[in-house]
Amino acid sequence: MKKIWTGFLFVILLTAAQFLPAGLLAAEGGKEQLTYRLKWLFNVSVMGDLYAGEMGFFEGANLDVTVKEGGPERDAIRELELGYADFGVASADQVIRALSKGSPVVVLAQLFQVNPLQWIYRPDRVEITQVKDLKAKTVGVTFGGNDETIMRTLLASQGLSEGDVRIYSVRYDYTPFYRRKADLWPVYVNSQGPIISWKLKRAGERVAFFDPSAHGVKFVANSVVTSVRMVREHPDTVKRFMQALLQGWEAAFKPENSKAALEVLSKYDRDTPRPILEKQLAMTRKLVKPADSVDIGTFDREAWQQTERIMLEQQQIKAPVGVDKVLIQF
Amino acid sequence: MLPRRIYQFLIIFLLGIAVLFAVKYLFGLSDYVIPSPADLRDTLAAVYKHYGADVASTLSVAIIGQVVSIFLALMVGILGRQTTWFGSFIKVAAYNVQAYPIVAIAPIIFILFGDGFFSRLLIAAMICYFPILLSVLGIMSEPVKEIEHFYRVTGRMRWQLEVKIRAFENLNKLTTVISGSATLAMAGTIVAEFIAANAGIGYSIRIALYQSDLSKILVALFLIGITLAVYQGLLEAAGRMIGKGVTVTR
Repeated sequence: MKKIWTGFLFVILLTAAQFLPAGLLAAEGGKEQLTYRLKWLFNVSVMGDLYAGEMGFFEGANLDVTVKEGGPERDAIRELELGYADFGVASADQVIRALSKGSPVVVLAQLFQVNPLQWIYRPDRVEITQVKDLKAKTVGVTFGGNDETIMRTLLASQGLSEGDVRIYSVRYDYTPFYRRKADLWPVYVNSQGPIISWKLKRAGERVAFFDPSAHGVKFVANSVVTSVRMVREHPDTVKRFMQALLQGWEAAFKPENSKAALEVLSKYDRDTPRPILEKQLAMTRKLVKPADSVDIGTFDREAWQQTERIMLEQQQIKAPVGVDKVLIQF
Repeated sequence: MLPRRIYQFLIIFLLGIAVLFAVKYLFGLSDYVIPSPADLRDTLAAVYKHYGADVASTLSVAIIGQVVSIFLALMVGILGRQTTWFGSFIKVAAYNVQAYPIVAIAPIIFILFGDGFFSRLLIAAMICYFPILLSVLGIMSEPVKEIEHFYRVTGRMRWQLEVKIRAFENLNKLTTVISGSATLAMAGTIVAEFIAANAGIGYSIRIALYQSDLSKILVALFLIGITLAVYQGLLEAAGRMIGKGVTVTR
C-alpha cells in the first residue's frame, strides 16, 4: 500500500513539475533554462534564432534555451503571461493589440527592418510602379491579417477607396494566383517568394514584388518580446539572452558564415531545396540588415509609431498605447 | 425537450466562461489573454448581428450538408450491406476517403470547385457522413430474422423490402444518429469555412484568430452553441413525431 502511495505521489510531483513556469528550472551544469517561443514554423525567417541555438551562442551565455516553433494558433505574448515562455517573437500589431488590452509586454529588439510581407505579381501582366497602379487590379488580401491593414493604408494614402480595386479573399494556398484569378497576391518575400518565383519560372513566367515600405507604409514585423516582470526581476538574464541572440543573428548573416548558416537551416527546414534556401537566406539578409551600418535588432521608432497610428486609424485599437515606451534596447 | 436543450447549453457555456474568468482573476491575467466581462459584453453588442448572420449562413450549409450526407450514407450503407465483392468495395472506398485528413483534400476540392458554396457543402458532408455511414452499415447489415424469415421462405423478399424492414425496426437508432450528426455537419461546415471560404462563422473565427481577439471567438462559440442546441432540439422533436407516426401506422 505504501508503495502505491509513493508511486502516486511521484506521479503528482511529476505532473506538477510540468506546470512550473518556464525558466524556474535549473538545467544541468547550472545553466539557466529558458523557453523562447517563435512566431512561425522553423524557416529562414527565424535563421538567427536557430543559429544562436545551434552554434552555441546561448550556451556561451550560460543559458539553456529551448527554441519552440510558432504557428497560427500560437501567441508568444499570451505564453509570456501564462508563464509558458520567457521570451518570444511577435509582430508589432500583436504587441500593440496586447498593450491596448493591458498586457505587460515589452519589446527587446526589432528583428526585421523591412517587413517581409509584400505582394507578388506578374510584370508581364500588370505594371505596378506606384500605388495608383493598383487601381482596377485584383488584389489578394487576408481579411483580418496584417496584409489587409497594410493594403487599406496604402490605398488610403493615395486617396483610393476599396471600390477602386477588386479585393480577392486570400486563403492558405496560392491556386488563385497561379490560375490568374488575382493580379497581386500577398507573400512573405523572403520565405515564400523564392519558392513561388522558382515554380513560376519553371512555367516560363516572370514575377516581381510590390513592397509597401517603398511607398511609405512601414508596418513593423517580427520583434523579440518578453514580460515586464522578466525585465524587472531578471535583468541580467534578459541582457545575456539578448546579447547571445543578436550575436547569433549577426553571425548567421555574415557572408563568411553562409555555409554554416545553410547547414543549420537545412537541418530544420528539410523540405526546401538547397538552392531555394540560398535565395531565401540572401533575401532575408536584405530585410534584417539592409546596410552594414545597421545593427540587427535596431528599433525603427518612427515605423513603430506609424504602425500604432495605422491601427488607431483603422480602429483596431480604441486609444493610443504609446508603444514607444515599451521599446527597450538591451 | 427544446427548452431543456437550450438551458443545458447555457449552463455548460456559463460554467466554461466562469472557469475562464476564475483563471483570469486568480492569476491576474490581462484582457489580451482572457477578455474581461465588460470586454465580452461590448464585443457581443458590437458583433452579434454580423455573427448571427454568419451563423445562419453556416447553419444553412450545414443542414444541406447533413441532408446530402444522410442520403450518401444511406446509399453507401444500402449498397455496402451486402457481403458481395461490390459491397466490400464500397465499404473500403468509403473508409479510405474518410481516412484522409480534410486539410489535405481541401486544395483539390478548391481547385475543382473554387472556394464558394459547393466546396463548403462538400467538406461539411464529408466530415458528417462517416459516422452516419457506420450506423447505417451496422443497421443494414443486421438481419431482423423474425420478420425477414417469413418473406424469405415465401419468396417475396426484395432488397427494397429488406431495407425498409431494417430501417423501421431501428428507427430510434437512426433518428438518434441523424440528430447527433447535426453537430458534425455544423463542425464540418465551420472547418470548411475556416480553411478557405469567404463567408460563414468559421471564416469570422479565422479573422478573429488573426486579430488575437478571444472575445469575438467566445461570442462566436456562444452563437454556434445556442443555434446548434435549437437545431438539435428540433431534429429530436421531428424524430419523435416520425416515431409516433410509424407506431400509429402499425
